[in-house]
Amino acid sequence: MNNTVPTNIIRFLIVFLVQVWIFKHITFSFGGFVFIHFLIYPMAILLMPIKTPRSLVLGLAFVLGLMIDMSYDSVGVHTGALVFTAYIRNVIIAFLEPYEGYNIDDVPTIKNMGIGWFISYLSVGLLLHIFLYFSLEAFSFVFIFEIFLNTISSFIVTFIVILISQFIFRTKY
Amino acid sequence: MYNVIQLFAKFGTHILFVVLEVICFYLIINYNQSQKEIFINSSNIYSAKIGEQKAILSNFANLKRVNDSLMRENANLIENLILIEYASDNIPNPDSIYNPYSLIPATICNSTINLRNNHITLCKGSREGIKPDMGVISSSKGIIGIVRSSSSNFAHVMTLLHSQTKISCGIKSRKGHGSLVWKDTDPLRMTLESVPKHEIIAVGDTIITSGFSTMFPRGILVGKIENFKIMSGSNNYNITIKLFNDLTNVKYAYVVQNRYGSEQLNLEKEITK
Repeated sequence: MNNTVPTNIIRFLIVFLVQVWIFKHITFSFGGFVFIHFLIYPMAILLMPIKTPRSLVLGLAFVLGLMIDMSYDSVGVHTGALVFTAYIRNVIIAFLEPYEGYNIDDVPTIKNMGIGWFISYLSVGLLLHIFLYFSLEAFSFVFIFEIFLNTISSFIVTFIVILISQFIFRTKY
Repeated sequence: MYNVIQLFAKFGTHILFVVLEVICFYLIINYNQSQKEIFINSSNIYSAKIGEQKAILSNFANLKRVNDSLMRENANLIENLILIEYASDNIPNPDSIYNPYSLIPATICNSTINLRNNHITLCKGSREGIKPDMGVISSSKGIIGIVRSSSSNFAHVMTLLHSQTKISCGIKSRKGHGSLVWKDTDPLRMTLESVPKHEIIAVGDTIITSGFSTMFPRGILVGKIENFKIMSGSNNYNITIKLFNDLTNVKYAYVVQNRYGSEQLNLEKEITK
Protein backbone atom coordinates (compact mmCIF):
# COMPACT_ATOMS: atom_id res chain seq x y z
CA MET A 1 0.00 0.00 0.00
CA ASN A 2 2.73 2.46 0.95
CA ASN A 3 4.54 1.67 -2.28
CA THR A 4 1.54 2.42 -4.47
CA VAL A 5 1.93 6.17 -4.77
CA PRO A 6 5.67 6.24 -5.63
CA THR A 7 5.26 3.35 -8.05
CA ASN A 8 2.49 5.14 -9.89
CA ILE A 9 4.39 8.42 -10.02
CA ILE A 10 7.46 6.68 -11.40
CA ARG A 11 5.37 4.76 -13.91
CA PHE A 12 3.63 7.96 -14.92
CA LEU A 13 6.95 9.67 -15.65
CA ILE A 14 8.55 6.68 -17.34
CA VAL A 15 5.55 6.10 -19.57
CA PHE A 16 5.60 9.76 -20.54
CA LEU A 17 9.30 9.76 -21.31
CA VAL A 18 9.20 6.48 -23.22
CA GLN A 19 6.28 7.69 -25.26
CA VAL A 20 7.92 11.00 -26.08
CA TRP A 21 11.48 9.82 -26.57
CA ILE A 22 10.98 6.49 -28.26
CA PHE A 23 7.50 5.78 -29.55
CA LYS A 24 6.90 9.24 -30.85
CA HIS A 25 9.52 8.62 -33.50
CA ILE A 26 8.27 5.20 -34.54
CA THR A 27 5.49 5.37 -37.06
CA PHE A 28 4.80 3.03 -39.91
CA SER A 29 2.71 3.90 -42.84
CA PHE A 30 1.43 1.86 -45.71
CA GLY A 31 -1.00 2.57 -48.47
CA GLY A 32 -0.32 6.26 -48.11
CA PHE A 33 -2.88 7.06 -45.48
CA VAL A 34 -2.82 4.33 -42.83
CA PHE A 35 -0.43 5.17 -40.04
CA ILE A 36 0.58 3.00 -37.14
CA HIS A 37 1.15 4.98 -33.99
CA PHE A 38 2.36 3.55 -30.71
CA LEU A 39 0.17 5.19 -28.09
CA ILE A 40 1.29 3.52 -24.89
CA TYR A 41 0.64 6.44 -22.51
CA PRO A 42 -2.96 5.38 -21.61
CA MET A 43 -1.20 2.65 -19.65
CA ALA A 44 -0.29 5.18 -16.97
CA ILE A 45 -3.94 5.99 -16.43
CA LEU A 46 -5.34 2.51 -16.91
CA LEU A 47 -2.90 0.90 -14.45
CA MET A 48 -3.71 3.18 -11.51
CA PRO A 49 -5.14 1.46 -8.45
CA ILE A 50 -8.80 0.63 -8.85
CA LYS A 51 -10.00 2.69 -5.89
CA THR A 52 -8.17 5.87 -6.92
CA PRO A 53 -10.57 8.83 -6.64
CA ARG A 54 -12.12 9.39 -10.01
CA SER A 55 -11.50 13.15 -10.05
CA LEU A 56 -7.80 12.52 -9.33
CA VAL A 57 -7.64 10.17 -12.30
CA LEU A 58 -9.33 12.78 -14.46
CA GLY A 59 -6.92 15.50 -13.31
CA LEU A 60 -3.86 13.33 -13.88
CA ALA A 61 -5.16 12.33 -17.31
CA PHE A 62 -5.56 15.98 -18.19
CA VAL A 63 -2.02 16.77 -17.05
CA LEU A 64 -0.49 13.78 -18.84
CA GLY A 65 -2.47 14.52 -21.97
CA LEU A 66 -1.26 18.09 -22.01
CA MET A 67 2.33 16.95 -21.51
CA ILE A 68 2.03 14.50 -24.42
CA ASP A 69 0.36 17.16 -26.54
CA MET A 70 3.17 19.62 -25.87
CA SER A 71 5.69 17.24 -27.35
CA TYR A 72 3.40 16.10 -30.18
CA ASP A 73 2.50 19.70 -31.03
CA SER A 74 -1.19 18.85 -31.29
CA VAL A 75 -2.74 20.77 -28.43
CA GLY A 76 -5.80 19.11 -26.93
CA VAL A 77 -6.09 16.03 -29.13
CA HIS A 78 -4.36 13.56 -26.85
CA THR A 79 -5.78 15.34 -23.81
CA GLY A 80 -9.35 15.00 -24.96
CA ALA A 81 -8.95 11.32 -25.69
CA LEU A 82 -7.12 10.61 -22.46
CA VAL A 83 -9.62 12.46 -20.26
CA PHE A 84 -12.34 10.41 -21.85
CA THR A 85 -10.38 7.23 -21.19
CA ALA A 86 -9.93 8.21 -17.56
CA TYR A 87 -13.65 8.85 -17.28
CA ILE A 88 -14.67 5.60 -18.94
CA ARG A 89 -12.13 3.61 -16.86
CA ASN A 90 -14.45 3.27 -13.89
CA VAL A 91 -17.27 2.12 -16.12
CA ILE A 92 -15.09 -0.66 -17.57
CA ILE A 93 -13.91 -1.62 -14.09
CA ALA A 94 -17.47 -1.80 -12.83
CA PHE A 95 -18.41 -3.85 -15.87
CA LEU A 96 -15.64 -6.38 -15.30
CA GLU A 97 -16.16 -6.61 -11.54
CA PRO A 98 -15.59 -10.20 -10.32
CA TYR A 99 -18.17 -12.01 -8.23
CA GLU A 100 -16.54 -11.21 -4.90
CA GLY A 101 -15.90 -7.54 -5.73
CA TYR A 102 -12.65 -5.60 -5.53
CA ASN A 103 -10.38 -5.18 -2.56
CA ILE A 104 -9.44 -1.72 -1.39
CA ASP A 105 -5.84 -2.10 -2.55
CA ASP A 106 -6.44 -3.89 -5.85
CA VAL A 107 -4.36 -2.75 -8.82
CA PRO A 108 -5.31 -3.69 -12.37
CA THR A 109 -2.28 -5.84 -13.20
CA ILE A 110 -1.87 -9.36 -14.56
CA LYS A 111 -0.50 -10.61 -11.27
CA ASN A 112 -3.34 -9.21 -9.23
CA MET A 113 -6.40 -9.70 -11.42
CA GLY A 114 -5.41 -12.52 -13.77
CA ILE A 115 -4.56 -12.45 -17.46
CA GLY A 116 -8.14 -12.76 -18.77
CA TRP A 117 -9.41 -9.82 -16.77
CA PHE A 118 -6.40 -7.73 -17.66
CA ILE A 119 -6.63 -8.38 -21.38
CA SER A 120 -10.32 -7.49 -21.57
CA TYR A 121 -9.82 -4.39 -19.42
CA LEU A 122 -6.82 -3.18 -21.40
CA SER A 123 -8.31 -3.92 -24.81
CA VAL A 124 -11.58 -2.08 -24.16
CA GLY A 125 -9.89 0.94 -22.58
CA LEU A 126 -7.17 1.13 -25.20
CA LEU A 127 -9.54 0.65 -28.13
CA LEU A 128 -11.80 3.44 -26.92
CA HIS A 129 -8.83 5.71 -26.36
CA ILE A 130 -7.28 5.13 -29.76
CA PHE A 131 -10.57 5.42 -31.56
CA LEU A 132 -11.31 8.72 -29.86
CA TYR A 133 -7.79 9.94 -30.52
CA PHE A 134 -8.06 9.36 -34.25
CA SER A 135 -11.55 10.79 -34.33
CA LEU A 136 -10.34 13.98 -32.69
CA GLU A 137 -7.34 14.11 -34.99
CA ALA A 138 -9.53 13.84 -38.09
CA PHE A 139 -12.24 15.90 -36.39
CA SER A 140 -14.86 14.90 -38.92
CA PHE A 141 -16.63 11.63 -39.57
CA VAL A 142 -16.17 12.24 -43.25
CA PHE A 143 -12.91 10.31 -42.70
CA ILE A 144 -14.61 7.42 -40.91
CA PHE A 145 -12.87 4.81 -43.04
CA GLU A 146 -9.40 6.17 -42.29
CA ILE A 147 -10.30 6.50 -38.63
CA PHE A 148 -11.24 2.84 -38.38
CA LEU A 149 -8.19 1.63 -40.26
CA ASN A 150 -5.83 3.71 -38.14
CA THR A 151 -7.59 2.67 -34.95
CA ILE A 152 -7.36 -1.04 -35.65
CA SER A 153 -3.76 -1.07 -36.84
CA SER A 154 -2.51 1.19 -34.03
CA PHE A 155 -4.53 -0.69 -31.46
CA ILE A 156 -2.94 -4.02 -32.34
CA VAL A 157 0.66 -2.84 -32.11
CA THR A 158 0.10 -0.76 -28.97
CA PHE A 159 -1.73 -3.56 -27.26
CA ILE A 160 1.15 -5.96 -27.96
CA VAL A 161 3.70 -3.46 -26.66
CA ILE A 162 1.79 -2.84 -23.42
CA LEU A 163 1.24 -6.54 -22.85
CA ILE A 164 4.93 -7.30 -23.36
CA SER A 165 5.86 -4.51 -20.96
CA GLN A 166 3.57 -6.03 -18.38
CA PHE A 167 5.32 -9.36 -18.72
CA ILE A 168 8.75 -7.75 -18.48
CA PHE A 169 8.08 -5.40 -15.56
CA ARG A 170 5.92 -7.44 -13.26
CA THR A 171 4.98 -4.61 -10.92
CA LYS A 172 3.18 -5.54 -7.78
CA TYR A 173 1.35 -2.22 -7.47
CA MET B 1 -26.36 26.51 -1.69
CA TYR B 2 -26.53 23.18 0.11
CA ASN B 3 -28.14 21.71 -2.96
CA VAL B 4 -25.28 22.94 -5.11
CA ILE B 5 -22.72 21.32 -2.79
CA GLN B 6 -24.71 18.12 -2.80
CA LEU B 7 -24.87 18.22 -6.56
CA PHE B 8 -21.10 18.57 -6.72
CA ALA B 9 -20.58 15.78 -4.22
CA LYS B 10 -22.79 13.50 -6.26
CA PHE B 11 -21.80 14.42 -9.81
CA GLY B 12 -18.44 16.12 -9.21
CA THR B 13 -16.44 13.74 -11.34
CA HIS B 14 -18.94 13.92 -14.19
CA ILE B 15 -18.89 17.70 -14.07
CA LEU B 16 -15.10 17.65 -13.94
CA PHE B 17 -15.05 15.32 -16.94
CA VAL B 18 -17.33 17.59 -18.95
CA VAL B 19 -15.33 20.67 -18.00
CA LEU B 20 -12.03 19.03 -18.95
CA GLU B 21 -13.44 17.81 -22.27
CA VAL B 22 -14.76 21.26 -23.05
CA ILE B 23 -11.31 22.68 -22.34
CA CYS B 24 -9.80 20.04 -24.61
CA PHE B 25 -12.17 20.89 -27.43
CA TYR B 26 -11.43 24.55 -26.97
CA LEU B 27 -7.71 23.83 -27.18
CA ILE B 28 -8.14 21.55 -30.20
CA ILE B 29 -10.17 24.08 -32.10
CA ASN B 30 -7.97 27.03 -31.23
CA TYR B 31 -4.49 25.58 -31.63
CA ASN B 32 -4.79 23.04 -34.46
CA GLN B 33 -5.10 24.37 -37.94
CA SER B 34 -6.87 21.51 -39.72
CA GLN B 35 -9.36 20.89 -36.91
CA LYS B 36 -10.00 24.62 -36.73
CA GLU B 37 -10.80 24.76 -40.42
CA ILE B 38 -13.13 21.77 -40.18
CA PHE B 39 -14.88 23.29 -37.19
CA ILE B 40 -15.30 26.66 -38.85
CA ASN B 41 -16.54 25.10 -42.07
CA SER B 42 -19.10 22.85 -40.41
CA SER B 43 -20.30 25.55 -38.05
CA ASN B 44 -20.64 27.83 -41.07
CA ILE B 45 -22.72 25.21 -42.84
CA TYR B 46 -25.01 24.80 -39.86
CA SER B 47 -25.34 28.50 -39.15
CA ALA B 48 -26.06 29.11 -42.82
CA LYS B 49 -28.79 26.49 -42.75
CA ILE B 50 -30.29 27.99 -39.62
CA GLY B 51 -30.07 31.46 -41.12
CA GLU B 52 -31.80 30.23 -44.25
CA GLN B 53 -34.70 28.80 -42.28
CA LYS B 54 -34.92 31.97 -40.26
CA ALA B 55 -34.98 34.04 -43.45
CA ILE B 56 -37.81 31.91 -44.86
CA LEU B 57 -39.82 32.35 -41.68
CA SER B 58 -39.21 36.05 -41.41
CA ASN B 59 -39.97 36.49 -45.10
CA PHE B 60 -43.30 34.83 -44.54
CA ALA B 61 -43.98 36.95 -41.49
CA ASN B 62 -42.99 40.09 -43.39
CA LEU B 63 -45.14 39.42 -46.45
CA LYS B 64 -47.84 41.80 -45.34
CA ARG B 65 -45.42 44.59 -44.63
CA VAL B 66 -43.61 44.02 -47.93
CA ASN B 67 -46.92 44.05 -49.74
CA ASP B 68 -47.90 47.30 -48.06
CA SER B 69 -44.64 48.93 -49.00
CA LEU B 70 -44.94 47.67 -52.58
CA MET B 71 -48.42 49.16 -52.79
CA ARG B 72 -47.04 52.42 -51.48
CA GLU B 73 -44.33 52.32 -54.16
CA ASN B 74 -46.90 51.53 -56.82
CA ALA B 75 -48.97 54.46 -55.67
CA ASN B 76 -45.97 56.73 -56.06
CA LEU B 77 -45.29 55.39 -59.54
CA ILE B 78 -48.88 55.90 -60.62
CA GLU B 79 -48.77 59.41 -59.20
CA ASN B 80 -45.71 60.05 -61.34
CA LEU B 81 -47.52 58.69 -64.38
CA ILE B 82 -50.39 61.05 -63.76
CA LEU B 83 -47.91 63.88 -63.43
CA ILE B 84 -46.33 62.95 -66.77
CA GLU B 85 -49.74 62.86 -68.40
CA TYR B 86 -50.33 66.36 -67.10
CA ALA B 87 -46.94 67.56 -68.20
CA SER B 88 -47.60 66.43 -71.75
CA ASP B 89 -50.84 68.38 -71.79
CA ASN B 90 -49.92 71.50 -69.85
CA ILE B 91 -46.84 73.58 -69.35
CA PRO B 92 -44.53 71.22 -67.47
CA ASN B 93 -43.97 72.10 -63.86
CA PRO B 94 -40.88 70.62 -62.28
CA ASP B 95 -42.23 71.06 -58.79
CA SER B 96 -43.63 67.74 -57.70
CA ILE B 97 -45.73 69.41 -55.04
CA TYR B 98 -47.76 70.75 -57.91
CA ASN B 99 -49.12 67.26 -58.53
CA PRO B 100 -52.67 67.65 -57.29
CA TYR B 101 -53.29 63.92 -57.08
CA SER B 102 -51.99 61.55 -54.44
CA LEU B 103 -52.94 57.91 -54.08
CA ILE B 104 -53.93 55.97 -50.98
CA PRO B 105 -53.30 52.23 -51.31
CA ALA B 106 -56.03 50.03 -49.87
CA THR B 107 -57.02 46.38 -49.85
CA ILE B 108 -60.51 45.23 -50.72
CA CYS B 109 -62.41 43.56 -47.91
CA ASN B 110 -65.65 42.66 -49.57
CA SER B 111 -67.21 42.92 -52.97
CA THR B 112 -70.28 41.98 -54.95
CA ILE B 113 -70.17 41.40 -58.69
CA ASN B 114 -73.38 39.79 -59.88
CA LEU B 115 -76.01 42.28 -58.75
CA ARG B 116 -77.42 45.13 -60.74
CA ASN B 117 -75.77 47.59 -58.35
CA ASN B 118 -72.44 46.31 -57.17
CA HIS B 119 -70.33 47.67 -54.33
CA ILE B 120 -66.99 46.93 -52.80
CA THR B 121 -65.69 47.69 -49.33
CA LEU B 122 -62.16 48.98 -48.78
CA CYS B 123 -60.26 48.16 -45.62
CA LYS B 124 -59.28 51.76 -45.10
CA GLY B 125 -61.45 54.65 -44.12
CA SER B 126 -61.51 58.27 -43.15
CA ARG B 127 -58.67 57.69 -40.72
CA GLU B 128 -56.41 57.25 -43.77
CA GLY B 129 -57.98 60.21 -45.53
CA ILE B 130 -60.61 58.49 -47.66
CA LYS B 131 -63.65 60.70 -48.09
CA PRO B 132 -66.84 60.36 -50.16
CA ASP B 133 -66.66 61.21 -53.89
CA MET B 134 -63.10 60.15 -54.34
CA GLY B 135 -62.18 58.01 -57.31
CA VAL B 136 -60.82 54.48 -56.89
CA ILE B 137 -58.46 53.04 -59.50
CA SER B 138 -57.02 49.60 -59.96
CA SER B 139 -53.39 48.72 -59.35
CA SER B 140 -52.36 47.94 -62.92
CA LYS B 141 -54.79 49.68 -65.21
CA GLY B 142 -58.45 50.51 -65.19
CA ILE B 143 -60.71 52.26 -62.75
CA ILE B 144 -62.84 50.65 -60.09
CA GLY B 145 -65.39 53.13 -58.87
CA ILE B 146 -66.23 56.04 -56.66
CA VAL B 147 -66.29 56.21 -52.85
CA ARG B 148 -69.84 56.63 -51.63
CA SER B 149 -69.31 56.81 -47.88
CA SER B 150 -66.55 56.14 -45.41
CA SER B 151 -66.39 55.21 -41.75
CA SER B 152 -63.23 55.55 -39.73
CA ASN B 153 -61.80 52.21 -40.92
CA PHE B 154 -63.82 51.24 -43.98
CA ALA B 155 -65.02 52.84 -47.16
CA HIS B 156 -67.97 51.89 -49.27
CA VAL B 157 -67.30 52.11 -52.98
CA MET B 158 -69.78 52.15 -55.82
CA THR B 159 -68.09 50.14 -58.57
CA LEU B 160 -68.30 50.74 -62.29
CA LEU B 161 -70.81 47.91 -62.38
CA HIS B 162 -73.58 50.08 -60.97
CA SER B 163 -76.68 51.46 -62.62
CA GLN B 164 -75.85 55.00 -61.51
CA THR B 165 -72.26 55.04 -62.67
CA LYS B 166 -71.53 57.94 -64.92
CA ILE B 167 -67.87 58.73 -65.48
CA SER B 168 -66.55 61.23 -67.95
CA CYS B 169 -64.21 59.51 -70.40
CA GLY B 170 -62.35 60.51 -73.50
CA ILE B 171 -60.67 58.72 -76.40
CA LYS B 172 -56.93 58.73 -76.35
CA SER B 173 -55.27 60.90 -79.04
CA ARG B 174 -58.66 61.84 -80.49
CA LYS B 175 -61.12 64.51 -79.60
CA GLY B 176 -64.49 63.99 -78.01
CA HIS B 177 -65.61 62.65 -74.71
CA GLY B 178 -68.63 60.96 -73.29
CA SER B 179 -69.89 59.31 -70.18
CA LEU B 180 -69.30 55.74 -69.20
CA VAL B 181 -72.35 53.77 -68.07
CA TRP B 182 -73.06 50.14 -67.35
CA LYS B 183 -76.09 48.86 -69.22
CA ASP B 184 -75.46 45.16 -69.74
CA THR B 185 -74.96 42.50 -67.14
CA ASP B 186 -71.53 41.62 -68.50
CA PRO B 187 -68.93 42.67 -65.91
CA LEU B 188 -66.27 43.12 -68.62
CA ARG B 189 -68.16 45.45 -70.96
CA MET B 190 -69.52 48.97 -70.54
CA THR B 191 -71.03 51.58 -72.78
CA LEU B 192 -69.73 55.00 -73.65
CA GLU B 193 -72.57 57.39 -74.40
CA SER B 194 -72.99 60.86 -75.84
CA VAL B 195 -69.91 60.97 -78.03
CA PRO B 196 -71.10 63.15 -80.90
CA LYS B 197 -71.22 61.36 -84.24
CA HIS B 198 -69.03 63.83 -86.11
CA GLU B 199 -66.00 62.61 -84.14
CA ILE B 200 -63.83 60.04 -85.90
CA ILE B 201 -63.36 56.89 -83.86
CA ALA B 202 -62.21 53.39 -84.68
CA VAL B 203 -62.48 49.95 -83.16
CA GLY B 204 -59.52 49.39 -80.83
CA ASP B 205 -59.16 52.98 -79.69
CA THR B 206 -58.16 53.35 -76.09
CA ILE B 207 -60.60 54.97 -73.70
CA ILE B 208 -59.10 57.09 -70.94
CA THR B 209 -60.58 59.23 -68.22
CA SER B 210 -61.07 62.77 -69.36
CA GLY B 211 -60.11 64.53 -66.17
CA PHE B 212 -63.15 66.76 -66.26
CA SER B 213 -64.34 65.60 -62.88
CA THR B 214 -62.44 66.04 -59.65
CA MET B 215 -62.50 62.30 -59.01
CA PHE B 216 -60.11 60.95 -61.64
CA PRO B 217 -57.05 62.58 -63.15
CA ARG B 218 -56.78 62.66 -66.92
CA GLY B 219 -55.27 59.65 -68.64
CA ILE B 220 -56.22 56.68 -66.51
CA LEU B 221 -56.67 53.76 -68.89
CA VAL B 222 -60.18 52.36 -68.86
CA GLY B 223 -60.63 50.06 -71.82
CA LYS B 224 -60.77 49.88 -75.58
CA ILE B 225 -63.51 50.17 -78.14
CA GLU B 226 -64.96 46.82 -79.09
CA ASN B 227 -67.60 48.05 -81.53
CA PHE B 228 -69.78 51.09 -82.05
CA LYS B 229 -72.93 52.03 -83.89
CA ILE B 230 -75.21 55.02 -84.38
CA MET B 231 -78.81 54.43 -83.42
CA SER B 232 -81.25 55.69 -86.07
CA GLY B 233 -82.27 59.25 -85.29
CA SER B 234 -79.57 59.63 -82.68
CA ASN B 235 -76.87 62.22 -82.74
CA ASN B 236 -74.38 60.21 -80.75
CA TYR B 237 -72.39 57.03 -80.99
CA ASN B 238 -73.28 54.04 -78.89
CA ILE B 239 -69.85 52.57 -78.13
CA THR B 240 -69.28 49.22 -76.45
CA ILE B 241 -66.10 49.16 -74.45
CA LYS B 242 -64.14 46.19 -73.21
CA LEU B 243 -62.63 47.06 -69.84
CA PHE B 244 -58.94 46.50 -69.21
CA ASN B 245 -59.42 45.32 -65.67
CA ASP B 246 -61.60 42.48 -64.48
CA LEU B 247 -63.63 43.84 -61.59
CA THR B 248 -64.61 40.36 -60.44
CA ASN B 249 -61.21 39.55 -58.99
CA VAL B 250 -59.55 42.78 -57.89
CA LYS B 251 -57.79 42.63 -54.54
CA TYR B 252 -55.99 45.96 -54.28
CA ALA B 253 -57.10 49.44 -55.10
CA TYR B 254 -55.82 53.00 -54.96
CA VAL B 255 -58.01 55.83 -53.84
CA VAL B 256 -57.33 59.05 -55.72
CA GLN B 257 -57.07 62.05 -53.50
CA ASN B 258 -57.40 65.36 -55.30
CA ARG B 259 -55.73 68.11 -53.38
CA TYR B 260 -57.64 70.91 -55.12
CA GLY B 261 -60.87 69.01 -55.66
CA SER B 262 -62.88 70.73 -52.99
CA GLU B 263 -61.66 74.13 -54.20
CA GLN B 264 -62.83 73.36 -57.71
CA LEU B 265 -66.19 72.09 -56.47
CA ASN B 266 -66.75 75.15 -54.27
CA LEU B 267 -66.00 77.48 -57.12
CA GLU B 268 -68.35 75.65 -59.45
CA LYS B 269 -71.06 75.65 -56.77
CA GLU B 270 -70.71 79.43 -56.33
CA ILE B 271 -71.25 80.03 -60.01
CA THR B 272 -74.31 77.86 -60.23
CA LYS B 273 -75.91 79.59 -57.24
